[in-house]
Parts: sequence; C-alpha cells; structure tokens
Amino acid sequence: MSSHREAPEISQDPVADSTDLYAFVSPDQPDTVTLIANYIPLQEPSGGPNFYAFGDDVLYEIKIDNDGDGRTDISYQFRFESRFTTPSSFLYNTGPIGSLSDPNWNSKQFYSVTRVDEWGSHVLGHNLACPPCNVGILSTPDYEANLGKPAVHSLSHGTKVFAGQRAEEFYVDLGSIFDLGNLRPLQEANVFGAAAHLKSAPGVNATNRLNVHSIAIQVPISAVTRKGRPTIGVWTTASRQRVRVASHGAADGVSSGPFTQVSRLGNPLINEVIIPLGKKDQWNREHPSGDKEFAKYYANPELAGLLPVLYPGAFPHLAALDKAGTARADLEAILLTGIPSGLIPGFTNFTGSVQADMLRLNTSIPPTPTSSPKYSILGLIGGDAAGFPNGRRVTDDVVTIELRAIAGKVFPLIDPTYVVDGVVDSVTDGLTNTSVTNMPVAAFPYLGVPYDGYHNPS
Amino acid sequence: MPSRDDSGSPAAGQDAGQQEQERLSRRSVLRGAAGAGAAGIAAAALTGVAAPALAASAKPARSAEPGAASRTGDADTADQIVVHVRDARSGEIDVFRGTSQTSVRDRELAARLVRASRQ
Repeated sequence: MSSHREAPEISQDPVADSTDLYAFVSPDQPDTVTLIANYIPLQEPSGGPNFYAFGDDVLYEIKIDNDGDGRTDISYQFRFESRFTTPSSFLYNTGPIGSLSDPNWNSKQFYSVTRVDEWGSHVLGHNLACPPCNVGILSTPDYEANLGKPAVHSLSHGTKVFAGQRAEEFYVDLGSIFDLGNLRPLQEANVFGAAAHLKSAPGVNATNRLNVHSIAIQVPISAVTRKGRPTIGVWTTASRQRVRVASHGAADGVSSGPFTQVSRLGNPLINEVIIPLGKKDQWNREHPSGDKEFAKYYANPELAGLLPVLYPGAFPHLAALDKAGTARADLEAILLTGIPSGLIPGFTNFTGSVQADMLRLNTSIPPTPTSSPKYSILGLIGGDAAGFPNGRRVTDDVVTIELRAIAGKVFPLIDPTYVVDGVVDSVTDGLTNTSVTNMPVAAFPYLGVPYDGYHNPS
Repeated sequence: MPSRDDSGSPAAGQDAGQQEQERLSRRSVLRGAAGAGAAGIAAAALTGVAAPALAASAKPARSAEPGAASRTGDADTADQIVVHVRDARSGEIDVFRGTSQTSVRDRELAARLVRASRQ
C-alpha cells in the first residue's frame, strides 16, 4: 500500500502509522495549498464499540522544506485529547449524534494546531472538535451535513483545518500485487499466473469501503513558500515520547522524555517497495536531509529487477538496464531532488542537489480542472503537470505511475536513446479513481465521506 | 536563511521544534540541577520513581471527571521522572522528565539504583 503497515515496527502501532500524504494547489482556492496526512490504516467502518481515534500520546506533524535542504522550515503540529462524556457507559454514543457537541456522543476528541517556524511556535487553534466516526445511519444521520462539514475549522489568515475520519481514497489491488507481484490485467504474462492458467482480469480495489483518519490543512501559498522559490517539499511524521511506563492497576501510566520520530512519509510507496525490509524501521526514524544514505535503493530498485523475471520477455530493455547496473537517475530525480528544468518543457520541481524524499509541489503550476482534457490521473506522465510527482492529488493513480516509472517510462529523460519497452504503457493494477465508492468531495478536506458501519461491510 | 533543523543527523529523529524544545527543557533541568548540585538530580530521580519503587507504594488512582475524563487516565507526567540506567558500571543514566531527557554519569547513584532493583 502507499504506506500502510509498510514497516515492521510501525505495523504494530496503527495510530502512528501514516498511510498517505497529499499536497496540491487547492482546486477551488488556487491561492492556497492543501496538505493532507492520513493515519490509522485499513479501518473497517463497523469497528466498534471503541471506534478509531488519533493517538492522544502521538505528536503528528506535517512538515515543509522551502529552501531545498531537506530540513524542516515550517511544521504544523497536531496534538489530540480524548474526552468521555459519560465514562460510566460502554457505548460510543447513547443516541443519535446530531452535532459535534451532542451529549449523546460519548467519546469525543479535540485537537490543537501549532505552527513552528523560524519565528517560533504559534498556536493556530485549540480545542478544535474532530467529527465522530461514521457509526451508522441511526447513530450518525446525515453525517456530512451534521458532522463532517462542521468539523472544518476556519482559523486566522485564511487557514482551514480538519482532523477526523474520512473515506480511503487511495486505490490499489493489494491482494494481487502482494501475491508474487501479480497484476490482474497482465496475469497471463506473469510467470506464476501463467503456470496457474490465470486469465486477464480487472483489478480489485483492496482499500475500497475502508476509512482512514485524516489531518488536513489548507494555507495560503504565501505562508509556506519563500520568495522566488515556488517549490516546497512536504512530508509527515508521527512521534512518540521516548519512555512509556504502562499502567498497573490504578491509572499511574506515564509517558516521558523528548518526542522521537516513529513514522514518516513523503513520496508514496517508497518505504513500501523501495526500502528493503532491514532498513524500513530506520527509514521511518530518519530525516529527509539524510536520505543520501538510502539513494542506492532508489537508484537500483529491487522491483526493477523483478519485473523482467516475473514477466519473462516483456521488459527486455529494462532487463538490459538492470543487467548493466545502470543507476536510475530518472527515479533519483523524481523522488529525491525533483525534476530539473529543461527535461520537461515548462516544468520543474527541482529543489536542489540535496537528496531528500519529499513530496515536491511547484505551487506556481495552477490546478487542472477535472473537466479539462489535460486532466489525467497519471499526472506528469499523463501530460498533466498539476499531478504526481508534482505534489500529489487525491485522485492520482500513484500505483500505476510508479510502476511505469520503475519499468522505465521516464528513463528517456536521462538517456534519450533509451527505448521504453512496449508493454510499459499497459502496466497497471487495473484500477482508477472510479474504483473508489465514496469519491472525493469538491471542497476541503476533499476526501470522501467516511463509510458508515451499518452498510460496510455489506 | 538557516533551517530550523540544525542537526544533519537524521538519527536524532526529531523535528527542529522538538529539538529546540528538548534543548530548552534540558537547559531548564540543568539549571535546576545546578542549583541543587549533582545530588539534586539524584534526589529528584529517587523521589519521582526509585523511591516509590523502593517503598512499593502505589500512587492513588485519579478519578474520572464527569464530562471531561481523560481517555488514558494517565497521571500528570509533569512531576514524574523516569530513570534509565544504561550502564551501571560506568554510571551512565538517562533521566526523563516531561519532554526532556538528561544524561548524567554517576556511578554511585547507578549502584544505589542497582541495589534498589534487587530488593
């Protein structure tokens, strides 16, 4: 998955597990950027009675580098506090929840937002209400009007925030991909699929009808960029205090010490499929500014070597690249430095020579309306410079984009004589943004209405 | 303009704000410790964690406040100190309080804590 359960340690700590990160110029407010960090993967909507919540003991951050050194210039920090209305009840809600202050809602959560920058630490908002989880049609009627929209908080200087449950918009055929690299549409060509006599089939969206917890913030572009540098690098982290003494009988537990990072996410699918198993926990603990240490995995991804093996004869040119040990400067540029000017006419999101895994967004590129013929869920490789890897929109098909990139789609940017294998434009897990049931909404926080527990699973 | 992260070492695993917070907290702790002398830290450590452990006493449970009960019910961490003896022989001890961490080297204190842990 994009970053769901991607490393051994964090897979044991779901509330601190970042799943997806989005950064884009807001389509309905093009003088702002929207940054969204999702946490708590694979939420089954009916998962009560203790429905999902952010970790009160986790420090969540969305970080921005705006001068190209891979280090934090601006951090938006989110801290949560849970409160029980009626501690004597086991119920999440004792009746329909009609508003964010409804006393029927027993397990509420509130949060603060703090911006940390070169001028210090500034609390932008506190005691901000999260919406409840979407329990079901009886408990959370008219969810979006009563609970979802009221949970969008407008703060000073044109900033909006939202934190709470939303629909999972990331789509991927997990069941197939993790079954020996199979892609259902191409499984006749997969060495194992062919042996099992599998025929081409549509993809199955494994994350459909599941929810996540989203932290979303919309800020003016001018608040996060530096003059003359429209490209920002974005990543999210979750941190825990270094010491935790568990409660024993009475409520005497304690967390203590400085916060230390346990999870991070910049570009999608990196710790998932680029970083090897033995390095994944370390990668989660580290800073983008130190990613030079990991550059060899970007330059020679294991998956690039596996594709010609799993699909014999389908990737002869990629196989030759692998055999020659050619460093994939194309992937390093896309994922670690941004794409320099001159490679793609009219486009760059280059931030400098420092290799750092960040989602790079050139904020000077306007959003592409979904009604435009230029709009493409394949982003830059589909001719749409407003999409991944120029930031990442909610609808972008990052699985297909990265599969094709690893398969050599963009290597001609580095070596114009390289001939892309003919099959590359067919590489896909067979899904699109329409594979998601609750599709994005038109306004902030853009992610779809969370699936309710009454109908899901069904 | 300098970045807020002045540590190029990702091993630190902390954002700039946290690092600064840690430094400030550490300075505060050290100032307090300096006033009381090295034994000040030891005394605090023993008061916060080791002494209750020695006495096998339990902190009183905190009752839930109707209408605004904490989910975790954790005790107020501001006054609690956690001590980690990393190496008893050399006396390397980490002291955790609030969001700060202080490292001290005190072989005598480490030896006392080791003795306490065996009781």
